[in-house]
Amino acid sequence: MRQTILDVKGLSKAFGGLTAVDNVDLSVEAGKITSIIGPNGAGKTTLFNLVAGVYMPTTGEILFEGKPLGTTPPHKRAALGIARTFQNVLLFDNMTALENVMTGQHPRSRYGFFEAALRLPKAHREEETISLNARKYLNLVGLGMYGDRNPLSLPLGQQKLLTIARALATEPRLLLLDEPGAGLNALEKQSLSELIRRVRDMGITIVLVEHDMDLVMGIAEWVIVLDSGQKIAEGTASQVQKDKRVIAAYLGEEEVIE
Amino acid sequence: MEVIKRKWAYAAVAALLIFLILLPFDWFLGRYTFLMVFIGINTIVTIGLCLLMGYTGQVSLGQAAFFGMGAYVSAILSKTYDVNPWLAMLIAAASTGAFAYVIGYPVFRLKGNYLAMATLGLGIIMYILFRQMAQYTGGPDGMGGIPYLSIGGFVFDTPFRRYFLVWFVCLVIILISQNMIRSRTGRALRAIHTSEAAAQSIGVNVTQFKVKVFVLSAVYASVAGSLFVHHLRFVSPQPFDFLASVTLITMAVVGGLASIWGAIFGAATIKLISDEILVELGQVNAKLADLDVVIFGLILMLVMIFMPKGLFVSLRDAFDSWRKKRALRGVKS
Repeated sequence: MRQTILDVKGLSKAFGGLTAVDNVDLSVEAGKITSIIGPNGAGKTTLFNLVAGVYMPTTGEILFEGKPLGTTPPHKRAALGIARTFQNVLLFDNMTALENVMTGQHPRSRYGFFEAALRLPKAHREEETISLNARKYLNLVGLGMYGDRNPLSLPLGQQKLLTIARALATEPRLLLLDEPGAGLNALEKQSLSELIRRVRDMGITIVLVEHDMDLVMGIAEWVIVLDSGQKIAEGTASQVQKDKRVIAAYLGEEEVIE
Repeated sequence: MEVIKRKWAYAAVAALLIFLILLPFDWFLGRYTFLMVFIGINTIVTIGLCLLMGYTGQVSLGQAAFFGMGAYVSAILSKTYDVNPWLAMLIAAASTGAFAYVIGYPVFRLKGNYLAMATLGLGIIMYILFRQMAQYTGGPDGMGGIPYLSIGGFVFDTPFRRYFLVWFVCLVIILISQNMIRSRTGRALRAIHTSEAAAQSIGVNVTQFKVKVFVLSAVYASVAGSLFVHHLRFVSPQPFDFLASVTLITMAVVGGLASIWGAIFGAATIKLISDEILVELGQVNAKLADLDVVIFGLILMLVMIFMPKGLFVSLRDAFDSWRKKRALRGVKS
């Protein structure tokens, strides 16, 4: 049997009367690029937030590496190895690009206020590792020369790459990308695809929510389709593209007149 | 460019240190020594507010409560119970910190305006306690006869001596705060300021860090309060009222909320306005001395509208860009 890193069982999330995610079962295979697609309001981002721990499920459970996540808060999930990026970027504009990535090393470092305040050797050692690692991730996404820049002075494409570097700095085993391609031009999308493949080759499982079909079809090794909170199909990109229910969800139901 | 910038920063710090060392001598600005002790004390509280508001983005309208707690615990222990003033200072800082920790968790369930209201309430409650618990605090009349601090036989009984004590403590606090801001903890705090969701996503325990910086700012305020009573040898509720909290925020804003060194500048500017200019005006007409509320409100508004980074930081940035321009012109010619 193939090895899964994330298992979602009977997951539902209701906001008042609206069921955003409705009894979803899915598994994500370790070391692969999985894409979750679906029309607007299909519940993709809600599903993401459930996995990241921003919302708690109404019913059902989520297992990461076989262990139920339960009510683990988001910051502890980051320490467990689940990292994410955001649709609306959310970079820290009160620090440099490099410091943004350094902040990502938070769960992989330990030293606290006293070591920092008194500049004890432990702080010095850890800080050296943090900045070395941060430079490594900044170089990986191709922003090595922009370390001193304010993140908001970079074009959107590079801001999105920077959020990936920041997420990678938490040294995750599962990386959730929320619409990484939105707002990017063709060239930027191409380098994004290459980066995502390179991250996969580092052994990090990737789940992305994406609207851009070209991007999804180009890189996703497994596609899961949501509509109105329910899983309606899954398979390889070409299988899903031929699925009648998927076509119906995207283009509207074919009226059957009798 | 960074290296040049750092060189200028070192030069500025060196100049400030020399200025601070020479200031209390009679042939220089000796007549301001007593006032400068207060400025140092206010700077310490302001640094705590900068960490809390400027770096972490959490407002506190009740910082005078912690300032007053440090003052009263020190005053009562050292005077009424004859505890060694240094030990009293330590007990004050520890108990104020513990108090901030206990109320921190419920308080930081709130955000924005609600957080402002909760801290405002805290400040008002503490002020009422200082006034009403008269058998311990001396009530509205206050209590005097608080001993001086001393080390061995060396008593800090002149403003000149206390000046060096207070500014030594102040510079130590600046140093450790600077170190903290540039560390893992400091980055976590700045991350919380921009986006709590993003901070959580990279493993920052948001509530815990908010409470931590709240406790730190309370401990700073408490140490300042202890120094305050051993300087003045008298304590009354008035310096810890609501206006005091607003004055402290004005100091932080004038200095630039996200600037530790700016705290000195902010504290000095506001203290000089209230203790020199307004007192002078008060001698002309007693009613003019009450203008402080209006003036601080006006300063707060004008700085926030025209220089949201603060007066000190705006001046520094202007200096930086002027130097950069000049350097570029030098390259061209």
